Amino acid sequence: MKKGTLIRAIAAALALVAAPASADAHLINTTLGDFYGGVLHPLSGPEDVVPWFALAVLASIQDSRNARWLLFVFPISLVGGALLSVVAPALSISPAWNLAVIVVTGLAVAAAAKLPFPVFVGLGTLIALLHGYHNGQAMTQDTDRLLFICGVAAVGYVFVTLITALAISFLQGGMEWRLIALRASGSWVAAVGVIMIGLQLRTSAM
Amino acid sequence: MKIASLKASLALATIFALMPLAPAFAHTGTGTSAGLLSGFMHPITGVDHLVAMVAVGLWGAQLGNPAIWILPIAFPLVMAIGGLFGVSGFDLPFTEIMIAISGIALGLAVAMNIRPPLWVAALLVSVFAVFHGYAHGRELPEAADPLAFGVGFVVATGLLHLCGIVIGVLTRWPAGAQLVRASGAAIGAIGGYFLLSAMGLVA
Repeated sequence: MKKGTLIRAIAAALALVAAPASADAHLINTTLGDFYGGVLHPLSGPEDVVPWFALAVLASIQDSRNARWLLFVFPISLVGGALLSVVAPALSISPAWNLAVIVVTGLAVAAAAKLPFPVFVGLGTLIALLHGYHNGQAMTQDTDRLLFICGVAAVGYVFVTLITALAISFLQGGMEWRLIALRASGSWVAAVGVIMIGLQLRTSAM
Repeated sequence: MKIASLKASLALATIFALMPLAPAFAHTGTGTSAGLLSGFMHPITGVDHLVAMVAVGLWGAQLGNPAIWILPIAFPLVMAIGGLFGVSGFDLPFTEIMIAISGIALGLAVAMNIRPPLWVAALLVSVFAVFHGYAHGRELPEAADPLAFGVGFVVATGLLHLCGIVIGVLTRWPAGAQLVRASGAAIGAIGGYFLLSAMGLVA
């Protein structure tokens, strides 16, 4: 790299880093606070991230038709679930449902199962509806529901798309151990789900 | 000279500018992060768990395909059943002794390069997995975030298997194979120490 180019590149980097920007401690003032609230809510714990990860890895094992449909169905179902939480906020959905889908999805990955199209899309829809509803319940009266739900759908779409793309790219190396590594991650997810079902049963019994 | 000095100053300034200023958290030991960390550290800080998990990976690598992938995939699933026992408060006897024996048995299997039929290896590893899972499961209800604790200890267990498998790659070379067998002997000896400890014979 020429000296002049290097200096210009460093100057540009410095200008970018030092660019003055206001620090918004309270994002509500930017009118986008609830959008970021929706984005961050599913990422603040493993309840959503773990099954989303497993679903995305499962999508990478399926044929391309299944994977493409998931990217379409998943965010829409998240929105559907979140809207359902607005319309019917007091539905009694057992936590066992969430845990059961974790186990099923993890086992499907561990077995590298190629699921029929309706079963795979149905599983993705069920997970998204459950998680959309669960995340939607976090909205309060002051929350801008449109922004929050858009945030949840956006992060769900981006997360599943990125992990699916990464997993497909990882598998394209063609070596057998790559699929084994993904299958092992599925067994981890299923194991977590089984243990949590046990904890749920214990909590229910107490 | 001047240009070189300017470039060095600019590079230094860039590095300082890019350094993230992390906020200081007064209370970090709560919630998801604490649950995840404590779960992750549980198999790693317990040497009896650690050596047995590494031995599973080593043995899988020694046995080759398909054991190299069946054992690490089966282990977490069976371990989860042990975890169920632990979470439910079921009293599984001889847990510490069986965990120590798992170190001895798996270490010896690696040291002596024992090659049983796959189902025997899977059964042996599965029996031990129940006891390891039980020990982790007993801790889970007390965790700050039980789900995060579960994720932590399952991931740590899997990564320890991976460590064993990676070390087991050495079996491709004669000297490496000897080193792997020596590692197995060391694991067996550590298991022996924990067995004596569990029986109250050493402090």
